[in-house]
Amino acid sequence: MVARVAGVFDEKLTEAIANSKILVVGAGGIGCEILKNLVLTGFPQIEIIDLDTIDVSNLNRQFLFHKEHVGKSKAQVAKDSALSFNPTVNIIAHHDSVISNDYGVSYFKQFNIVMNALDNRVARNHVNRMCLAANVPLIETGTAGYAGQVELIKKGLTQCYECQPKAPQKSFPGCTIRNTPSEPIHCIVWAKHLFNQLFGEEDPDQDVSPDTADPEAAGDAGASALSSEGTAAGNIERKSTRAWASDTNYDPEKLFSKLFGDDIRYLLSMENLWKKRRPPTPLTWDNLPGKDNAPTQHSGLPDQRVWTVHECAQVFAASCKALQTDLKSRPDGDHLVWDKDEKSAMDFVTACANIRAHIFNIQLKSRFEIKSMAGNIIPAIATANAIVAGLAVIRAQALLKGEIETCTSVYLRPKVNHRGQLFVPEKTLTAPNPKCYVCAPKPEVGLACNIKQLTLKDLNTAFKEGLNMQAPDATVEGKGLVVLSSEPGETDHNNEKTLEEIGLNDGCALLVDDFLQNYEVRVRLQQEDDEKSWRLVTDTDTPMPAPKEDKTANGSNGAKEPKPGPSRSKEDSDSDMEIIDEDDDGEPAPKPPKRRRTEISDEVVELC
Amino acid sequence: MVENNELELSEAEAEQYDRQIRLWGLESQKRLRASKVLIIGLSGLGAEIAKNIILSGVKSVCLLDDEKLKETDLYSQFLAPPDKIGENRAESSIQRARALNPMVDITSETKAVDELPDAFFTTFDIVCATGLKQEQLERINNICRDSNKKFLCGDVWGMFGYMFADLIDHEYSEEIVQHKAVKRGPDETEKNARETVSITVKRRAIYVPLQNALSADWTKPELRSRLRRGDPSYFAMKILLRFRDEFNRNPDPAKRKADTEILLRMRDELVKELNIPVGFISDALLTDVFGIVSGAAAVVGGVIGQEVVKAVSQREPPHNNMFFFNPVKCVGFVELYGQ
Repeated sequence: MVARVAGVFDEKLTEAIANSKILVVGAGGIGCEILKNLVLTGFPQIEIIDLDTIDVSNLNRQFLFHKEHVGKSKAQVAKDSALSFNPTVNIIAHHDSVISNDYGVSYFKQFNIVMNALDNRVARNHVNRMCLAANVPLIETGTAGYAGQVELIKKGLTQCYECQPKAPQKSFPGCTIRNTPSEPIHCIVWAKHLFNQLFGEEDPDQDVSPDTADPEAAGDAGASALSSEGTAAGNIERKSTRAWASDTNYDPEKLFSKLFGDDIRYLLSMENLWKKRRPPTPLTWDNLPGKDNAPTQHSGLPDQRVWTVHECAQVFAASCKALQTDLKSRPDGDHLVWDKDEKSAMDFVTACANIRAHIFNIQLKSRFEIKSMAGNIIPAIATANAIVAGLAVIRAQALLKGEIETCTSVYLRPKVNHRGQLFVPEKTLTAPNPKCYVCAPKPEVGLACNIKQLTLKDLNTAFKEGLNMQAPDATVEGKGLVVLSSEPGETDHNNEKTLEEIGLNDGCALLVDDFLQNYEVRVRLQQEDDEKSWRLVTDTDTPMPAPKEDKTANGSNGAKEPKPGPSRSKEDSDSDMEIIDEDDDGEPAPKPPKRRRTEISDEVVELC
Repeated sequence: MVENNELELSEAEAEQYDRQIRLWGLESQKRLRASKVLIIGLSGLGAEIAKNIILSGVKSVCLLDDEKLKETDLYSQFLAPPDKIGENRAESSIQRARALNPMVDITSETKAVDELPDAFFTTFDIVCATGLKQEQLERINNICRDSNKKFLCGDVWGMFGYMFADLIDHEYSEEIVQHKAVKRGPDETEKNARETVSITVKRRAIYVPLQNALSADWTKPELRSRLRRGDPSYFAMKILLRFRDEFNRNPDPAKRKADTEILLRMRDELVKELNIPVGFISDALLTDVFGIVSGAAAVVGGVIGQEVVKAVSQREPPHNNMFFFNPVKCVGFVELYGQ
């Protein structure tokens, strides 16, 4: 409407707004604010996409939603609320994932500007590629706590979202998780893995039993016990944890005795581990600390009180039963997905993490704190979202006026800098990284792996997780031999073959493309005997331009932790600028305030 | 200033405010819940401030405005529905304001500020004033000062905006993050890690009243040196406040050309009066000052909302004492005036 009122903007902008079409990706904290600003300003055609539904913890900032909307589609409710501000605009809402064949390059091409208000790196990478392919300017936004940022991405003119390598997930060696935890987060990761072993999607990389292949324990593992039981893989040969638990009918006492008694005694038998560490103390169900404690006075939220070990055991028992009932009520073969907002799932992880922490003499944490760490919660507030969304729409207006050169990145700082600035704009646009494996004219990247061991299935995973492709096709350069096909079934018979077995060798180049993303990259294979999995090598010869961002990881939400994959290429973690990732919890990528690092708890477990 | 409420948060409050409690802590949330806020002026900026403060979970918000809702308000004022044009802006905003957070007590007051007695303003813990003349702002600021109540004011004209804060003698706590090396491994096989430790320190900030800030003496060397830094936002604010005082209105989108001429003339007068280098206050800054642009209202309203949260929760350093949003450079900065 503003655009149609003569005089608020100059004529050029008024007309540009009247003829514009904008796509908003994400209807969370920033998305709601952007939508409000666009609608009030009179942007006549807007589409908004979000696959999420409304949760009560959104209501402190996602102001287009009210209590009665909990459980409903964010995109749809956002549209309805925003229309009440200005019924004359046309909004199309999609309750859907932006990563879908329905939103191809031609879909993106119809917009003048795409505005990202996302909370995870996978979707950001995807939209980045779609906008590059469609050659549509993308305004990328994010907040973490008091801090935030707005940046323009335009093909050939600016850096793209993937021009600088992203910091890796914080990862912990598998043996630290399984054998020698020393911090609360190690116990929390273990507890989440245990959840998946018992109730979720079983993943061999999330084993929770003692790891006899621990290099530190080498030589004595099993010397005093069970020496014959170790296998080459380091796991004790036995039934899967799930099968065993199921056989005991998830009897809490039996589970407890195994996990917190027998397994700990087994660890104690690996004596090398405890030469310089304080050894763990096995627990018995009947004799737990805190049993006879009188209730203590606690001020603060109930969730902020740290439970005694005895209470943890009780919660463990109750949550086991509840989760078992939930699992049983589902069709055969189905499984639970860990969710920080699901009471029993969160209770279970809190209890197990704390019991294990007690055993290893690690500080116990409250449910409130464990929820932050286990759920990778990046606190989000209304004000920072409002500021970032306001700046984003102001940038969109400048773009429409044709002033793209002025649309530099702007950082909202948690505190003013030495010059008193709270919003700090960059002086110039940041030029694309000519070596970027996404937006360079001829994208290229190295893949370090052991060609003798890496299977085609692993290769497919590397392209999906490392290169963030949705449906990769790969052929051998120069030969046209199809290595991987996105057509279902076409190359499945080769899944278990190693790269060597299908004739690939060191230095060999693959052309890998993703049809949906309209993205092709040349991947050079680099033989590395010691590489246990795979790793992208973004630039081996010349150093990249100083990384502009000091960001953190792609978070991982609950059960969807990335596989032990990407050991990553080097990165400067002390650089000047940061990228804040997102809006809320989910897959955080907090980009810490300048020169301050935000501690987050993303984790991936590496193989030892 | 706000008495700590000893009552614990209800389960519903803990759930709804979960994310922000993780950021600013339970103590801050309790202080917020005990505070009473007055918002004067329900333009688009007032609506943005109200939204942010209501969402944060204060005890009560009073919306004060004697103006009627105009069509131009709707371009940034999302609390008043389009069908309430011609009705009082505060009253027509109440329903949506309540829907934002049913746990906050929302009231309205439709009298003009000049008709309200001093005692009215001192029933609140903090006052946020928008859209008033300088004389009105100074009156309310002084009333608040005499009763040790916090005062903020701000405005958005087009794309440009400012905020002023007088928190008088403000005590607050600040979390300082320190890094320390920690040894993790049992021996040298595991690297030393850096661990962050946060400690809370108590600090104090002294503020000056608005009239001091607005009558800053530009002949003084410390202010002259600011001219080298080159941001003319303070002067743009002075010009726009003078325009409002002189014409009893804001620059009007319908009179964009004529009003721009007036603003540029007032700019030239101010340049002479304060002996500022010619060209220092560019035309560009005084071009987009018509109506209230939604994006700018969101930006300035976000800053003011956060300052209210800081002020009442007495946590984190609040801005002392002026914030400006310069849309030409897209920069937002804080400067101290009048001390």
